[in-house]
Parts: sequence; C-alpha cells; structure tokens
Amino acid sequence: MNNTQPIYPFAAIVGQENMKLALILNIINPTLSGVLIRGEKGTAKSTAVRALADILPEIEVFAGDPFQLSPSDESDLLHAFTPVVRQKEASQAKPVKIEKRKVKVVELPVGATEDRVVGTLDLEHALKKGEKRIEPGILAAAHRGILYVDEVNLLDDHVVDVLLDSAAMGVNTIEREGISFSHPARFTLVGTMNPEEGELRPQLLDRFGLCVLIEGVREPEDRVAIMEQRAAFDEDPVGFCKKWEAASRKLGERIERAIALYPEVAIERSLLFEIASYCLDIGVDGHRGDIIMLKTAKTLAAWHGRKKVVSADAEAAAELVLPHRVRRQPLQEIGEDVKSLRMKK
Amino acid sequence: MARTASNMDFGSQLQILNDKEMMFKKIYPFSAIVGQEELKLALLLNAVNPKIGGVLIRGEKGTAKSTAVRALAALLPEMRMVAGCPFGCDPDDDLRMCARCRETGSRRTIRTQRVQVVTLPLNATEDRVVGGIDFNLAVKKGVRAVLPGLLAEANRSILYVDEVNLLDDHIVDIILDAAASGENRIEREGISFKHPASFILVGTMNPEEGELRPQLMDRFGLCVDVKGEAKPDQRVLLMERREAFDLAPHEFLKQFERENERIAAQVITAREQLNAVRLPKHLRTFISELCMENLVAGHRADLVMEQAARAHAVLRQRSEVTTDDITKLAPFVLVHRARNAQPPPPPPPESDRKEEPPETNDANEPDKEPLPDNPPEGRETQQKSGERISGDQQPEPDETNTGDRLDEKKPPEQIFDIGATFTVKKITSPRDRVLRRGSGRRSRTRIALKQGRYIKSAFQDKTGDIALDATLRAAAHHQLKRKNNYGLAVCLKPEDIRGKIREKRIGNFILFLVDASGSMGARGRMAASKGAIMSLLLDAYQKRDKVAMISFRKNGADINLPPTTSVEMAGKLLAEMPVGGRTPLSAGLAKAHEQVRNYLLRDPGARPIAIIITDGKTNVASGDQKPLEEAFDFAAKMAADPRTQYIVVDTEEPGLVSFGLAARLAGILGADYFKIENLKADQLVNVIKERR
Repeated sequence: MNNTQPIYPFAAIVGQENMKLALILNIINPTLSGVLIRGEKGTAKSTAVRALADILPEIEVFAGDPFQLSPSDESDLLHAFTPVVRQKEASQAKPVKIEKRKVKVVELPVGATEDRVVGTLDLEHALKKGEKRIEPGILAAAHRGILYVDEVNLLDDHVVDVLLDSAAMGVNTIEREGISFSHPARFTLVGTMNPEEGELRPQLLDRFGLCVLIEGVREPEDRVAIMEQRAAFDEDPVGFCKKWEAASRKLGERIERAIALYPEVAIERSLLFEIASYCLDIGVDGHRGDIIMLKTAKTLAAWHGRKKVVSADAEAAAELVLPHRVRRQPLQEIGEDVKSLRMKK
Repeated sequence: MARTASNMDFGSQLQILNDKEMMFKKIYPFSAIVGQEELKLALLLNAVNPKIGGVLIRGEKGTAKSTAVRALAALLPEMRMVAGCPFGCDPDDDLRMCARCRETGSRRTIRTQRVQVVTLPLNATEDRVVGGIDFNLAVKKGVRAVLPGLLAEANRSILYVDEVNLLDDHIVDIILDAAASGENRIEREGISFKHPASFILVGTMNPEEGELRPQLMDRFGLCVDVKGEAKPDQRVLLMERREAFDLAPHEFLKQFERENERIAAQVITAREQLNAVRLPKHLRTFISELCMENLVAGHRADLVMEQAARAHAVLRQRSEVTTDDITKLAPFVLVHRARNAQPPPPPPPESDRKEEPPETNDANEPDKEPLPDNPPEGRETQQKSGERISGDQQPEPDETNTGDRLDEKKPPEQIFDIGATFTVKKITSPRDRVLRRGSGRRSRTRIALKQGRYIKSAFQDKTGDIALDATLRAAAHHQLKRKNNYGLAVCLKPEDIRGKIREKRIGNFILFLVDASGSMGARGRMAASKGAIMSLLLDAYQKRDKVAMISFRKNGADINLPPTTSVEMAGKLLAEMPVGGRTPLSAGLAKAHEQVRNYLLRDPGARPIAIIITDGKTNVASGDQKPLEEAFDFAAKMAADPRTQYIVVDTEEPGLVSFGLAARLAGILGADYFKIENLKADQLVNVIKERR
C-alpha cells in the first residue's frame, strides 16, 4: 500500500459540504444504500469518493476470499463457494485465515460488460477440461464495500438492470450459460452523474438512498483555497498527506464514534409523524423515502454525537433524501429544493 | 435424464446455498407488513389456490412488493418432495411427476423443504430459464443430459420476476407458457424433454417503463395496483416496524410469530377445504355478466374469477361463494383485462390536455389556412431589419390566406401546450445481418453481446459466446481419431468451436424534424402535434432510444437537441418550442440529413429513424428553386441512402381544401405516412411491415 500513489485526503477537500456529509453518513450507516452525486464536471466528485478509502473503517474478511464474506455471518458459505471458483488448490482444504482490512472502494467503469459485472463462467475451459470455473465479477468484489459508478447515467441499460437487481436483493444471481450461482452482494452504491447527459430511470434513482446536487464553489476565497491545496498536493503529495494526517485521523475517529453511537440513537414519535408528513406533502412513491429519511436522521444525530434525533436532523435529512424521490413523470426534471416544493403543495 | 454424481454435487451445493440464504437473511414477517391489504390478499389467494395463475403487481417502487412475496414464502408450510429430484416432484401426486420419479415408485426417499422464491434475474438466458444441455456430462461422459433450469427449480414454488415488463419478450413467452400449462417443454439444442413446472408466478412492473403486451397481461390471474399509504399514522407505524426489525430482527420475528402461524394455519386449512367450496349457479351467471360488461376477451377472466372467489370464500371460512366474494375480487381479475381500460399513458407534464384547439380563431372563419406566414413575422422584422420578407415569397398553393391578418389576438410567436398524449404504434426498423451492441427495446437486431435469444450458430466466435450444441456436433465425427488428454469423453479442438448468433431488440436513433412555422400554430394544430411528438418521445423513453430534435421556422433550421439519451431534455425543449414565422422545409430537410449522416459516420451500424412532423407546406427556399420543388428535390436525394428510415406525420387538418403535400413528400422519401390520428396504437393497421 505504501508504494501506491498517495490519494488526495478527504479532509482536505474544500467546500462541497453536502456531498462530504452524504458520503460520511453512508459510511456510518451502510443501510442508507448509497449516494447519487449530481453535478457539474470538475467538482471533486471522484476525488471525494476515492479519498474515502482514507477514512473508511475496517472489516473482517477471509484471506484471499474473492467474495468478501463476513466471517461472523456467512462463514459457511465460503466452503460452498470455493470449489466452483478459480482459486489456488491450497486454500481449499485448510481452514482459512481471517484478516482485517479497510472497506474497499470498487470502481465500475462505464464500459464494463455484463460478464465482468456479474461474473462469468469460462466456457472454453469447461469444454476442454470439463471443469466449471467461475470468475467472480465486480459485484462480488463490492460486497460489504462501496461500489463507485462514475457517470452512472451513461451505463448500459442491461448493466443498470443487473445493478438494480443486486442492490434490491443484496444478492447477485447469475443464471446464464449453464451456470446458476448466487452470492451475497450488499454494497453502498455511489454514483456520479451530469444530468445534462441524460437522466436515470426512476427505479434506479430510488435505489440511491441520498442524493446531493453539487456545483462549483462560488466564493472566490474558496476557489483560491482549492487551487492552492491542489497545487500543494501536486507538488509534494506525500508531504501534503502527512500534513493532513491528523485531520484525517480525527475524522476517522469521529466516524467510528458515530458508528458505535448509532444503535443507541432514539427518535420521538412526533418526529416520525413529521417525517411522514414530509413525504406525504411532497408526494414520494412508496415508503422507501420514509425509511431512509428516518435512518438518515438517526445517523445525523449520531454524527453530531447526540443520542436523540432533533427536528433539525429530520429537516437536513429531507434535503438529502427527498429531492430525487418526488413523484414525477418520466420526462420531468428533478426538483432541487425540498422546502420550496413543500411550500408549493 | 438422470443427474449423475458430478452434477448432483453442483446442485446440492446450490441447495446448501439457498438454505443458508434463508438462514442468514432474516425475512420480514408477512403479518408485520403495514397496509397493502390487496397485495397480501392476492398473494394469499394464490397460496390457497394455485389455479388462479399468479399475480401481477403494478405500481410504485418501495411498496413492499418483494418483501411481501418473500414473506409469503417464509410463511408457507414445508412440502414433501422426492429427494434428489431436480424438479421437486410431489411424491403424493402421481399425475404431475417427472418421468424418473414415476419410474422409481416406492423406492424413492422423501425430504421436506420450504416453498422457495425463485428469482428470475432480468439478464437470464433462455437456456437457464428452460434448461439446456448439461455440458459437464456431455464433455466428461459423452452423455446427452438436461441441466434443469429455473423453471424446474420453481416447480411448486414461487417464481418471482421483478420488472417483468423489462424482460426479453421471448423469455416472458416461455414463462407464461409454462405457467399456463403447468409443464415445461424443452425443445432446443438437440434436447427434447418435459417436466412439471407449476408455480405461482408473481411479476412486478412499473407501467411508466413500458406496458406488457395484452396477451401476456391476460396470463396473470390477478393484478394489483399498489400505492404507498396515505395516512401519516400508518406510515409512522411502518417506519417503527422497519426500524425495530433492522435493529433486532430476532425479537421482532418473535413478536409476530403467533400472527404468522395463525395465517399459515388459515392457508393450510383453506387448501384442504378448497375442493368442498360450492359455487351457486346464479353466481356463475353473475360472473359471466361481469366479464361481458367489461368487454373482456376470452374466457380466462371467468375461470380465474371462479377460482379466486372459491379461494376467498374458503379463506373466510365459508363453504359457499357469495356475491360479496365476487364483487370484492372482480377488480383484481378485471383491471388488467378490461378492454380500453388500458392504463392511460402518463399525462403530459402540463396537465391541461387540449384535445381541441383554443378558441383563438373564430369558428366562422372559413379559411383553411388562417395563419399566414408573413404577418406574424412583423415584429421580428422590425427588430431585425435585415430579414428578407418579400423576396422569396413564392406563389405557393397554400398561400391563399388573407383573412388572418386582422387577427390581433395572435402574438407573432406562440408557445403551445403539449396536447393529449397517446400510445403510439410500433415503429421498428427492418431486420438485417449487421451485428450491433446496445440495449433498448425497439428494433430486432443481431447482437454482438452475450444477450438475447440464441437463433443459430456460426463459425465465428467473436464474443466468446460458445454454442455448445453446435460445437459438440462439429467435434462428433472426429472423435474416433482423436485422443484425449484430460480423460474426458469428448475431445474438442479449437476448430470445433462454434459461436452463437443472438438476436434481441435495441434502441434506435430517432431524429425529430419539427415544423415550427406559423402555419402550425393555427387551430391548435401545434398542440396536437406536440402531443404526438410527446407520445413518440414517451415511446422513445420506454424503448431506450437516442433522440435528437431539429425544428425549422423563419429562415432556417435549428438543432434544438443534438443526439442524446436524455429524452427528458427533448420533452422540456418541446414544451418550450415557440411557433411562428415562415416555413423553410428544405432547410429543415437538409439539416436533418446532415445530422443523420454525422450520426452514421460515428456509428455506421446505426439505424436512424427520422420522423418529420409537418404539413408539407413550404415557402422559403435555400437556393434559387421554388421552395416546394427544392424540398422535393432534397427529399429525393435523401431517399437515396437506404440506411435511414423516414416517417412523415402529416399535421394538415382534414377539410375541404387539402393539398396532400406531406403525402407527396412521404412518397418521394419512401417514408411511412401518417396523420396524427393514425399514429395511435389502438388502430388495427400495423404501421410498418417489416421489410425483410
């Protein structure tokens, strides 16, 4: 890891507070099911997602397991998987080691073929040697991690469908070409898009828990700060990262505290009604909005070190959760501001 | 067709997987689902009486559709099965049994298993759905055997298809066929085989993403429209339960255990007593009258209604069906079958639908061409003095109007609302032999991806998509001479490998060329035209086309929207498109040609469809010719390129004087010609015959 190029530290990103907050909330609580970042080019979207690696918590995995299974939860599955996957012979018989490592950010390139995403069977190998050999795809690698899709709106439709399926079920099912195979695939979906190049289908939009709209920073001072930071980083990446190390560690620790606090966060019934009325006033489809909004509000409280959700949390959650869920026809645009929408209705 | 040892291993591994999945994925209890009474009832009815034939769930996302289906499966009692039978045969039912189980007779061992939810992923291939050659066996042992597919797995369970309307048509056909007959027949890749496949089919769909064909819709016994809860306290309850479940699933499950058991017991007793339920004769008449009233096609509705009513009665612990059962269930049975009860296409964003033009022009105006192309230009010309007005005004046949000059209500530029939208007819390009990549749902093409339907095999294997049957056949007659290194029964050499040729639908590039001149503003024709374009755009959205839009008015043509997948943008631009000015048809045609040509340079395999929305009248030329002649000349040149398909939508109002210019244009372009009214899908004439 030390030899790889240093990544621009998350803590050093100037502005874009909404996006940073949304990403952090998802780290604290992976059940928020992802963030969609909508916005212009060159607004630190990708930088932020890649920088996450810095502050992500650690998880336990089996050594060399392509499916990132959780040793405490799914240990039995591993033994079922190993024989059908291309793996070193040695790892089959012996008990596998458990190791700790950081949550991974797995990138899904726009041009990815379905094979690479879901995993595939090497048919020619099978025909010549008579063995089934499955190569796990990107979805296997993304289990328990973050799946990052740049320009998610440009993704091929059939790949989108696959993503939707797995995101919905938490399981990736391969049913093609004589293979029938499924493995857990629960990931935090982080997508970026530029709305000018085409919208996402409502179903896929709905799968993203949170949605943030970002634009370039307006304040001249901040813009200068961005330029300075970037220049400093380009000049001396290692030194720059070292300078920010303390800030990154502090952020990481705060996230860990929030993760620990989350289960204790309580919410009053009256606030639940407030959340429900938010969703009703704005007119969202179904109930995913309510549920995600509740979780977001609780996560926000944990992030702020509180054990109780306050009204401001719900309000902030609404801005993150609802804009992309407002009921609309296929050809309508996404509204930007929840408050104004609520006033209108 | 036995599964031998090696094969069993793989199968039993999967079995373990599935069971484990049930274990570590705690399932939200059925009885804890808040609201959605109709959905729950429909599922329970099917659980009691599988003859109902499944449920189609239409509606909003995030309304516990999948949760309910999974919860139902977890609730149902365990079933007895023949151990080792890949089809999960029922040992007590000799009629519906696979050939092997019938032979084994009393020697078979029994195991029990819960009802499973078999999920059909959208990208499943046909061989995995119906079953195909088991290549492990074929290669290792040289045995021709069937590898059972998803339909085998789903036998006596629930087959769940999320977004059934996005599934490839041929797969939907197969599934519905099996669902209707209770049997899956495999006739492909050299195998002929059948096995029982009776399952509860549950499909979900969002109508905005495209409708199912009516034939397919009819195959689903019941149909439920689901919506989110509208009452705040219900929503709060739902949130509370969900949160409680996520935090402490075990306690939560315990809390609802008793209620779940009660429902399970209800289903079991109902199943036992189902056959004893009587349906009085007068109610049969009632059912058939109901179906007749709703103009239902065929008799499936009657039969389903009867079965559903019996299940409902027995669930309510009655031994006789009453009128209440039927009136309660009628909507489930009829909503998707009643003709002309097609769910309306989504209303246009601006909700005031103007079928009729706004009464800006007085009805007593006899003039067929009320809006001249000249006067509205007035203000513009004052602003831009350089504009030529009179120079190229040609004596066109349509320049008969004078009366409208007095019309002061009309501003020189208008923005019309989008008129009523409708479902448009099928527009596709003809088939050819070019391999393409892409997705979408419009025109059939051979495809260079591992998707779609396997139609035949060929020598080339460009995609690593190996056609097993053909490869084996190619290798077969060499086997005597060849020696095998791996101890396999069949020895394959690279020259044996055959690739699959597949076919599926993909989106096209659709270019809209819109006449936005002043003449279109008359009598709300622009509103109707915009409605038609909007309908075509909605269709393009559902078929995942790329669209581009060009409008022509005043002295030239503008590219409003370069080729994009953002149909939203096109819709927005359409709503804002102003109307006014003269009609430079030839400039529009030239611009369209340019766009299409550029697109073809980038993507030589593309099949562009240019839709020209005009009345065919023109009064501005780009060159020295008369405008109309020039336009027709251009059209003739454009028609020379066979790769582009043209469609002319005539916006001329039917009346005493009609010039039929658009029809002439269509003739020259070799285009398909429609009036706006004829674009609607409910008319029987098929739009484009597929030219092969």
